[in-house]
Formats: sequence, C-alpha cells, structure tokens
Amino acid sequence: MSSTTLRAITHRLTTTPVEQLPSIASFLATSLTDCAELLSTPQTQKSGKSDSDNAVQIHKLKTRLASLLQDRSVEGRWTAVILVKATVEAGQWEILRGYEPIVRSLISILAKPDPISTRKMCIITLTRIFHLTYQYPTLVREITTPQLPGFITAALNLVSTITKTSSGSIRKPKPNTPFMEIVLHALLELIPRHITIFRPFGAQLRTLLAEVIGSSSPAYFPGHVIDAAEQLLVSLHKCAPKDQAGSGWKDDCKSTILSIHRTTDHVFRAVVEQWESVDATLMHTRPNYSQEMGDGSSDGLGLPGWSGLHSGVDRLIALLQILSGFISVPSAAAVALPIGSILDLTSRLTSVTVPPNGAVSSQSGIQFNQEISRDEREALWMELPRIHIACMGLLSNVVGILTTSATAVTQTILEQAVWTFKGERFNRDLRSAVYGLLRSLVPVNGPAMTKQSVVSLMDVLRSCCNDILPPTGNYSSTANSGSDSKAKSKGGQGTANADAFLNPDLQKSRQAQAASPFLDVQQSASGLLQAVFVSIPAELVPPSIRAEMDRSIILTSDKDAMFASVLNPVPAVKGRGAGSSIIPFLTRPYADQMEVEALVRPRMPVLMTAPELDAYVDEDEEVEDEDMADDSYNAAPKTAEFLKQPVSVPLQVPKSDHSKAATPVPTFHKRTFTEEPTAEESTPQKQDVQSKKARFDEIIPTTSQQPFSQLAPAITKTDAPKLSTHVPTTSTTVTSQAPLEAAEDSDDEVPTLNIESDTDEEDDDVTMEG
Amino acid sequence: MLSESFVASTLSSAKSPTASLRDVGVCVHELQPSSILRSTFKKSSTLTNCLAVSPSHIFTAQADKAVLHVYNREKGNQEGVVPFPERIRSIAVAGGKYGDVLVLGTEGGRLIVWETCTGRQVATTASHLQPVTSLVVDPTSNFILSGSADASVHVWSLPGILSFSKPALSATRQPTNSPIRTFSNHRAAITSLAVGHSNGRHNIVVSTAKDNTAIAWDYHTGRALRTFLLPLSATSVALDPVDRAFYVGYEDGSVQSVDFYRSQSAQHPLHDPSVQSTPAQVSMEDRWLPPSAETGSAKTITLTYDGTTLLSGHANGKVLSWNVARRKYTSSVADYTHPITNLVMLPPGGIPHPSSDLKRKAHTIVKPRHDSGLSAPNHAPGAVPAEYMFHTQIIAPSDSRKPTEFSQALTHSSFPTSMIEDGLAELAAFRQPGNAEVTRVASSTAPARESLEDTAARDSQVTELENEVAVLKKKVAVNETARHNADDEVVQLRSDLANLQDYINELHEKQEAAQQEKVLRQARKQEHETKKREAWLAAEKKGRNGDAVIQKMDIDGAVTSDSDDPSDE
Repeated sequence: MSSTTLRAITHRLTTTPVEQLPSIASFLATSLTDCAELLSTPQTQKSGKSDSDNAVQIHKLKTRLASLLQDRSVEGRWTAVILVKATVEAGQWEILRGYEPIVRSLISILAKPDPISTRKMCIITLTRIFHLTYQYPTLVREITTPQLPGFITAALNLVSTITKTSSGSIRKPKPNTPFMEIVLHALLELIPRHITIFRPFGAQLRTLLAEVIGSSSPAYFPGHVIDAAEQLLVSLHKCAPKDQAGSGWKDDCKSTILSIHRTTDHVFRAVVEQWESVDATLMHTRPNYSQEMGDGSSDGLGLPGWSGLHSGVDRLIALLQILSGFISVPSAAAVALPIGSILDLTSRLTSVTVPPNGAVSSQSGIQFNQEISRDEREALWMELPRIHIACMGLLSNVVGILTTSATAVTQTILEQAVWTFKGERFNRDLRSAVYGLLRSLVPVNGPAMTKQSVVSLMDVLRSCCNDILPPTGNYSSTANSGSDSKAKSKGGQGTANADAFLNPDLQKSRQAQAASPFLDVQQSASGLLQAVFVSIPAELVPPSIRAEMDRSIILTSDKDAMFASVLNPVPAVKGRGAGSSIIPFLTRPYADQMEVEALVRPRMPVLMTAPELDAYVDEDEEVEDEDMADDSYNAAPKTAEFLKQPVSVPLQVPKSDHSKAATPVPTFHKRTFTEEPTAEESTPQKQDVQSKKARFDEIIPTTSQQPFSQLAPAITKTDAPKLSTHVPTTSTTVTSQAPLEAAEDSDDEVPTLNIESDTDEEDDDVTMEG
Repeated sequence: MLSESFVASTLSSAKSPTASLRDVGVCVHELQPSSILRSTFKKSSTLTNCLAVSPSHIFTAQADKAVLHVYNREKGNQEGVVPFPERIRSIAVAGGKYGDVLVLGTEGGRLIVWETCTGRQVATTASHLQPVTSLVVDPTSNFILSGSADASVHVWSLPGILSFSKPALSATRQPTNSPIRTFSNHRAAITSLAVGHSNGRHNIVVSTAKDNTAIAWDYHTGRALRTFLLPLSATSVALDPVDRAFYVGYEDGSVQSVDFYRSQSAQHPLHDPSVQSTPAQVSMEDRWLPPSAETGSAKTITLTYDGTTLLSGHANGKVLSWNVARRKYTSSVADYTHPITNLVMLPPGGIPHPSSDLKRKAHTIVKPRHDSGLSAPNHAPGAVPAEYMFHTQIIAPSDSRKPTEFSQALTHSSFPTSMIEDGLAELAAFRQPGNAEVTRVASSTAPARESLEDTAARDSQVTELENEVAVLKKKVAVNETARHNADDEVVQLRSDLANLQDYINELHEKQEAAQQEKVLRQARKQEHETKKREAWLAAEKKGRNGDAVIQKMDIDGAVTSDSDDPSDE
C-alpha cells in the first residue's frame, strides 16, 4: 500500500508544474508521513523485486527533492523545504544518511532573498536534522560536523551584523528582523547537543544576546524574544572550555547575582535600605545622587549600561529571569546552586515594599533618602511590584527544583512572600505570583507547619477567597451595598451606578464578560486553596477563614478544591458535635464523577472484609465472577509470572450452598502443595464443600486442571487443595478463637488481601452493597 | 524492561561465604523477571535498620564503628566513609523522591539530620534514653518517627529541625530540635516501625516491641488506634501498600499477616472507637511457618511493589519469599551466608513512577561540614548563610513552558497547518507583481533595481487612470443628484395631489351638508306655513282676527329659529 503511495508521490512531484506544487505540498507531506515505515526500513534488508522498486522510488524522491531545492522558482524551493522535513521525520536515520548535499542547499537558501516563510521553515528543518543526528555518531561525522558551523553563521547573519574588532568579532542585532525569535530558539535547541561545535561561537553569541537583552528603547524586541535570549544566555555556560564547564556555570551565575546587587544599588537609591547581606564579601557601589539614575558601564555578563529608573527596573527583571534560568535549565554537569546567595538577594529586594498610602517615613518602617526627590521615590513605588513579581518567580523556581529538599529554607521563603504580599496586595499580578509560589511551598512543609506560620498566611488566604469569586459577583454586591449606604447618607443622590438600576441584566452579562481576564489569578488562587486544604492541618486554620474558604469554593463549584475540603474536614471539637462537611455541594453537581463515587461509596473496605481464614463464610451472596476471572487472566499477559497476583475474588462463595450433590472430583488430589501441618483445617461439612468444588470445576474446567504455577491469577480462588488431604482429619476440633463455621470454607477461599483488583471488581461491590 | 529488584545488607559473621560473596555487605538482587544477583558492594556490616537507599546512593551504618559507608549506585563503587561522633544505630532517607536528606539515629539517643546535597548537618537533643534502633520518615517527608530501646517512639518535625528561621520559638516553650510528640504505650524496647502510605492527616504507623505487642497509631495525634497482642515478640514489621494489613516477622523465622479489616463495618476499622481500647489477639497458629527450623529469626521483611509477595531476610543468610494470598512460604530467593539484616525494595523499572521522573540528580554527596559556615550569621539570626549551596545536576527543566510555535513545528511530522497556510499566503502575495516589494526583504536588491523603471512607467499610467476615474466619479455624482431631484419632485407632486384630493372631498362633504340644510329649512318653512294657515283658518272660524294670531306665531318662530340659525350658517 505504502509503496504505491510512494510511487504516486514521486510521480506527482515530477509531473506537476512547479508553480502548482505549493498547493499540494501539505498533502504530499502528509502522504509521506504515511510511508514512514517504508522510508525508515534499512536498505540492506530489502531484497526482492518490490523492495528494489521501493529503493528506486526513494532514490527518485531524494533526487527530485535535491533538484527542487536548487530550483529557480521560489515555489519549488518552498515545496522542497516542506517535503525534506517530512521525509526526515518519516525516515529518520535511513533518510538522513546521504542528505549532506540537501543540507548544504538548505543552508544556501538562508542567504537567498526567498519569502520569509521559506527561510523560517528552512531554519526549522535544519534544526531538526541536526537535532536528529545527535544520537548517531556516523551522521554527526557526515553531516553535523561539516555543516553546522555554516548553519550557525548563516542563521546569525540573518539576525545580526558582524564587526571585527581587535579582541574578536562582535555581533549587533539587526533591528526589526522577523527571524530573531526562530534563530534564538534554534540555537537554544542545538547548543546542548553539539557543544563542541558551538564553542567558537560562544563569544559572538554573548555579544549579540547582551545587545538583545540590554536593548533599550531604540532597538526594541518583544518579550518572547527576550525570554528566548535569556534562556540562550543561560545555556551559553556550556560553551565554556571543556575543562571548566562547571566553573562556567558558577561564574555566570555569580556574576548575575552581583549584577543584580549592583543594579539594585542604583534602583533603590531613593530609600535607605535596612538590609544587611549575609555575605561579607559583597561590595556596594554608591550611586551618584546628583545625576539621573543609571549605570554607564557594562556588567559581568556583558550587558550594556542603562539609564533611567524604568529601564533600570527592566534590567533588574531581566537579570532575575536569567538567574531563574540558571536554576531551572538543565546544566552540563553537577553545579552548586547558591541557595544562600539567592535568598539573600530576594531578602534585599523584598525588604523594600510600597508603604501604605500617605505614610511618612517613620510609620512605614522605610527610611527615605532625603537626597532623592519625592518624584523619583514615588516612581519607585510604582515599579516595585514588577520587581517583586520577578522575585516570586525566582523563588518559585527555587522551590520547583529543590521540592522536598527545600525544607530548610521554606520558612524563609514563606516570610518573604507574606511580607511582600502585605505591602503590595493591590497588584493583581503580584497576588497571582504569590499564590503560585505558596502553592508549591505549602505541600513541602505544610503538614508540620506551626500555628504562627499558619496565622501569618491568613491575609493571603482571605484575599485568595476574594480572588476566586467571579469579579463582578463581588463587584455588584459591594456596589449595591455601597449605593445603599450612600442612599441613606446622601438622600438618594449618591454616585451609584445608574445603569445598574436601569438594567439589572447588565450586571449578569458584564459578569460573564469580566470572568475571563482574571483567569490566571483565579487558577493560582484555587490551586493555593487546594494545597492549603490538603497540606495544612485543619485544626490550625482559624474557623472564620475556613468558613470563608469553603464558601468561596462552593460559590465557584471548584471540584478539586471541594474535594480537598471534604477529605480534610474540620476536626470535631469536643462538646460541639460532629463537624460539618460541604460534601452535599460536591455530590450535587459532580455526582457522575468517578472520584465522587469513590468518596461517597467506597469500595475498598467492603472488599477487605472478604474471606479470611477464620472469618464469616456463610453469606449467601451471589457473586458471579467467571467473567472476571477471564478478564483478569487476559489482563495479565506474559508478565503473569512477574506480577503474580492472585486475584482472589472477595466473597467468592459458591452459589449453591444447599446443593448436596456430593461428587468428589479426583483432580484435587493432583495438587501438590498440600503439606500444611496446621490444625485449622477441620471440615465438618466436608460434603458440602466438595459439592462446591464440583461446581467450580464445571465452571472452569480447563483452568483447574493446570498445574498451579501456570494458573491464571484469578484461579487461586478455587484453589483449595488442602481440603482433600485433610479430609480424614475431620474430627479435629477447631482451636480457640477461630469461628467454627469459618473452617468450612476457609480452605475453599484463599485468605486474601485482595491485592490489585480493586477496579476490576467494582461490579461486584455494587451488588454486594445492595 | 519491566523489572523489580531489592537491596539486601548483611551483618558479617564467622561463617565464610562462597568466593563470589566474599567481603560483600550489600547486594542488589533482581527479583523479577529472573532472580539473579545484579551487583554487590563490599566491606559493610550492618545491623537491622541500618541500610538506606536513595535514587543515587546507598548508605550503610556500620555495626561496630561510628562510621557510615556511602556507595554510589550509578558508578557501583564506594564513594566515601563518613565518620560520626557516636555509633549510628539506625538510618532513614527523607526528602521525598530525591532522598537527599539522611536521618541518623545514634547510640546516645539523638538524631542527626544530614542534607547530603549541601553538607549541612543538624543534631537534635538526646531525647531517647537508649539507642535509637528504628527510624522511619513519613510520606510527606515532614515527620520523623524514631523508636528506641527505651520503649518510647518520638515524633519529630523535619522542617522544625532543618529550618534556618524558626518561627516564634518562645511560644512553644520547648528547647529547639526536640520531639513534638512522644508515644509511650509500649512496655518494652521498640523493635521495628512501619509508616502508612498516606499523605493525609490520617496516616498511621505500626510499631512493634519486645512486649509482644504491635500497635497501630496515628502519629499526627499520638492516639493509639489498635493494639495487637502477638503470639511472639516481633523482630520486623511491614505494611501493605494500601495499608490494609501489616506483616510481622518473628524470632523463630516465621512471619504472619495481620489484617485490619476483619469485620464488615462501614467505618474504617482502625478508626472505630468502640474497639480501639480492646486489644486484638493474634492467633499463634496463623503464623506462616518457614520451611525449616534453621532459618533463624526474620530480621527484616518487605513487600514487593504489587504487595503480593513478602520477602524476609533471615539470620542464616537466606531471603525467603512468601505468597501473601496463600499465606505460606513459596521459595528461597537468595542465600548470602551472613545474617540478612535489611531488605529494601527498589521501585520497579519499566513502570512510569513518580520516583523515576527526576528533575535533578546528585552525582556525589557532600560530606557533613563541621565548620561554622553553614550556621546562620551572627548579625542576622535566622538568615540563610551565603555558603549554603545545593550541589546537584539539573537534568530537566523545572517549569513546563508553553510549547512555542517553534517547538511545535520542530517535532511535527512536516509543518503545522497554520505555518504552511501562512507560507502559501505569502507565496501568493509574492506572485502579485505589484506587491513584490512589500514582501521581499530589503536585502534583495537585484530584483528591486530591475523593477525600478517599470515602476516609473506604471506610476504615470496609474495617475492617468486615477484622473479618469475621478472624472467619471464626478459625472456619476451629477447624474445621481439629478435623479434624486426628480424623485423628490415626483414625491412632492404626489403628496400635493393627495392633499388636493382630500380638499375636494372636504368640499363635497360641505356641499352635501348645505343641501341637506336647505331641504330641512324648506320643510320647516312649509310646516310653518301650514300651521299659520291652519291657525288663521281656525281663528277665522272662531271669529277672531287671524292675522293677529299669525303675527304672534311669527314672533315665536323667530325666537326658536334664532337659536338654530348660528349653527346653520
């Protein structure tokens, strides 16, 4: 089938006029994907006529693609790029082998004045090819090593201009190039895989990235380009000379931290900082108060100077993001994350928060620098939340990478987050960032939290509850109450929203509209509430906050949060009766959800009361599980030997307790492992039991004949071989606590813990419950 | 491939093992699919509860020396020997799936917590009066439970011990680094601890002691949930993966399972207060007996991943496997000659498991540092010192960034549809002669120069055409206004016509009304005449002057007709 497809593709590719190829390119590419099996089959294994025919077709295809890449028309080249990518994806190694000329023509396209899309797709295709060769040393030798430097140069030429200086080459970004983002992403993808080839380009790349990240107003780059540039700058440590790969990371990380401190010296010059570093070696620069804020010289990372508060804060944020990158991007070798220095840094940045409105220096605890004008100070207040959002992002990365090992520093991080929140809760993005940070923090040390820590979180939780409610639901209620009070005080001439009176429906529609823009803050708030429900001991949360949290999640029908609340109820207080649960609010809207079912009608305890050696046996429950036995047999394929799970079915009681047709079955005597010198096997109702045996053999005749080692897991339930050997010892009395009636079926039923098969046996549970 | 292995450690004894096992103290043994010894680590002799396994390392506390051996699992060698001031009697790994916090219980009754990635080491108070012989860390990595020969179990808060900044120390009024809770229901030395698998508030721990009891209790409250009177003194305990039962191993080599779920009560049997105070008797006969009497005591037991097979390490160096469902001995898995003191199951390979999804990897441990660099600086108590570094290799990005257009295209089977469509649109624009300059990039100088002359010619043509269009437009506008005017006129006329029609109708009505009036008046006149005449005749008949009567009548008539007249005219 795929061979005919392949022939059809080559045919169309050669016969269709080049101008019309683009319109079928996408279709041809999809068809090529269908031929993946054919394209990836090693050629040596091909023998016979049809296979050699395929080889011819593949060869034709490759030749045609190579010629199309050299085609005079843009359409031809455009189509060729798409199809080359499709063949590479479909054929992998087999196709890549011998693709060197194609790679070379792809690189040459980059320098041609082709449409932007052609060149963009060209970069992606080349990246993918170099990406795939990484695993195969032969291909690396054949394709990557000779061609990758050319590609890097071509790609860099697309986005930058090179100037040679005495100390080396310097690259300046071209303004307004459509390729910047894609080139940065491509390099980011390739650097970790081909470090040695990138090594000579390290210095050039660094100058280019420094220009991009440090770009101020004249050359502007959008946020996602800067993000990519920051990630790339972080990856550059891998290009450090081989013998000092670890130190490259260390130096870069250290100079980032120092650079942040230096920028902060300037940015925070309007206040007198109370913070004192734990690192005695840290040097402070004393900014010049008479000039406009700015830093003329470039820093340790090579970022150029800046001037003005706003660009200073921009720089600070970029540096914080680079630092976040250092602790989250995969590193080349083992590194020492400077947790102490990072926390020292965030402690400095978060120690200055926006003072409450109209507060003078002494009240707010922040000492103003009298040499700086009030205007600059107020501008700093405006910029502070941005800095702190970046700080929260950095701390989130710390918690994200350390997870449970962050135990030692969680309290410190918690204090910084809560302190920042206290000062700047008016900023929605900051709230969202704090929620996100606490959400990852609370599970780490929540269970062992002290009352003091929980109490310090109360402000955050209260505002969290406000944030998850739909904004206008909140708005309209406050507006109504506000207008009521105004109506009283001002004789009905308040500034109430007149539209709200005229058109009550207006509020509803606005509510629907306004619900969407705050989605991220709602999500992080809801996540935090869940984490608090799950991890923080319920008895430490003050009842008023707990009630507010419950109310908010009910009003938003937040299933996961309601689950967390129900599973972690308020502990009953002595003398006040049982605590209340919000479980009805969970089951009403979500009755059809599996988790709700599991919560309300749990299965496991029922299963676990299943047969025991000495437990009850006389339950006349009709359980038909032959089907299930088959199922589990099928479900445990060849690994049955490994996961040897005796799916012992609970309450497996033979249907006919009263059928006394005593038909002893000889097959039982074949069973081997019967030497158990226990006295428990007294079978006063031996006949009865044997009749059951018979029934089981009728039902599962084949399986019961097999030696046990090959039995399907489920069969263990009928496995009661001891019985037959102990038939003569009927008269032995049952000892002590074992219930008498138990003995009857005890050997019939395997004593089970009923491992593993919870899901399989749901049906049974339902019937048992009923 | 799907595989399952365990780690066993032994206590060296006088017996001399086979050549392949000489000097071996720790064995990594594959249990499934085939039972073979995978790798060994040498020169170690451990007591029970003195083996800890993290994803990267194996730690063994030595039996007779105050040192800890560290083995690297990746490289398969001994990475180091860490000395401690006193003997270590039990160790446990904390720190979740990364396992980079090691908890050590000492002979003197204190705990030492060592962060293996930073080298920080914190010691607690010596709260136990006897050596700490068993240690477990709960699944949230927040609580440490330590059992001691002094019959008590202490609950410690790991964040409380490790945290740099201690919140409000004065409020608790307790010395730092002391246990938060003590469980003292046992009457003899604690032999073993097993913690439940829940992350929630209702997790349990099962402790066994030499007083022949096993107690299931809630370590969050310290409340005993159920006491089990065992037939013998248990040496080791393990919990079912779903916490449905626990298993104990005895001195005589037998093991036993104790099921929590015995009765069919809707309530969780452990949380049923009515039976919490009554100890449950566990039958002596229910024990699962070993194949022979020489196996020696079951020093350690553990369960496979699926919970269906119990492994026990015995004093005679054998690892036995037991079938949980059939409650009996199945086979002997391995024989290491020396007493087996610890068995730790490794997470299975081949099944996606949270423990295999690591973001970072510790290649080497950082030995505990004893200098003051890692204690909080004097001027800022509670602050994290600058020397606090976390040594690790980051192997996966921590935040899942949104997939960019680039990353989607990179792994797509060809290119995403949106990208191809954009390209097609661009190609189409590229073919339009007039738009070529717009889409072609500025650097493409050659084609731009070619079209320069064309542009000039085309420009003049365009202006001509534009002029023409303007003229035509003007004409059309004129026509349009004319037509509009005509239309307006017609409409005007039509409305006039209608007005006139209305007027005519009105007049007609008036005429008619006047006609009727006239007729009426005539009729009235005639009537009047007749009356007059009648009156005159009647007067004449009576002999009176008829004219006088008529005159009188005229006056009356004038009065009445006056009142009518205004309306008539």
